[in-house]
Amino acid sequence: MKEIQDPVKMQKEIIKKTYLISLFPIISSLIAGSFDVFLGFIFGLIISTLLLRIKYNNIRRALDMNMEKAEKFIRNRYFIEYALYFIVLFTSARNTRINFLAAAVGLFMMKFTVVLWSVIDLFKDTFQSKIDEYK
Amino acid sequence: MIEFSPEVIRTVIRTASLIGAGAALIAGVGPGIGMGYAAGKATSAVRRQPQARGAIITTMLLGQIISGSTGIYSLVIAIFLVFNT
Amino acid sequence: MVEFSPQVAETIIRAAALLGAGFAMIAGIGPGVGQGYAAGKAVESVARDPEARGNIITTMLLGQAVAESTGIYSLVIAIVLIFTI
Repeated sequence: MKEIQDPVKMQKEIIKKTYLISLFPIISSLIAGSFDVFLGFIFGLIISTLLLRIKYNNIRRALDMNMEKAEKFIRNRYFIEYALYFIVLFTSARNTRINFLAAAVGLFMMKFTVVLWSVIDLFKDTFQSKIDEYK
Repeated sequence: MIEFSPEVIRTVIRTASLIGAGAALIAGVGPGIGMGYAAGKATSAVRRQPQARGAIITTMLLGQIISGSTGIYSLVIAIFLVFNT
Repeated sequence: MVEFSPQVAETIIRAAALLGAGFAMIAGIGPGVGQGYAAGKAVESVARDPEARGNIITTMLLGQAVAESTGIYSLVIAIVLIFTI
């Protein structure tokens, strides 16, 4: 995470790692035979991937504005995003073929990946500094 | 002794859950305020150091991924209150 | 003297628990504002010192993950109120 400067490369890396981690719940839901959990998880995961792209475009547009205008712009865009989350969760609660909690977990998956990645980086750094001290 | 008919019981519980769902949605305001503050700081940072633009976008993207999720918690509770009671 | 039948008492308690679950989620405002504030400060310091970018991002993400915990507390309380009472 530390050496990546380019935002496009960072997005690709985050998406790759998220899909790699979410292979585990996808395969286990297929083995357990609950197709609604599988469908809800995939639904949440696809929506969160698309919203990452929207966030990137919003930030790039906001950086060219002045301060008050950028604040208002990002706030309004966040409420649009909130409405999108509402539509996704509402759809999965109404539709009996999509599991509601699985869709919610799919939306959170990207956040789990980022936090996990940074914790692993922190541990690596700590061990590296301990080893350097020992030498 | 006061007794309720089943209709009254259903109405009371339904009313309470709908009021609760509306109150839970208030929590969606918080991430909006925080993200707006971060965006304002980012514009002034780009004004000061235009060559660090890529690093600033990356930092803000990670911050937005993390901070948007408290709104989703409240949405999950609100939709649960509306549909499952 | 007013007396409630057991059914009425149960209805009132259930309604109050659902109402309380909704109001518990208002606590989600706090982590949202705090995480956004942390992201803004991190962006500012990346612009001031681009060399220390990696450490700043790791510190920001860990601080946001810790700030998230109050939102998770309120989520847990809301789920307990909905499902057990």
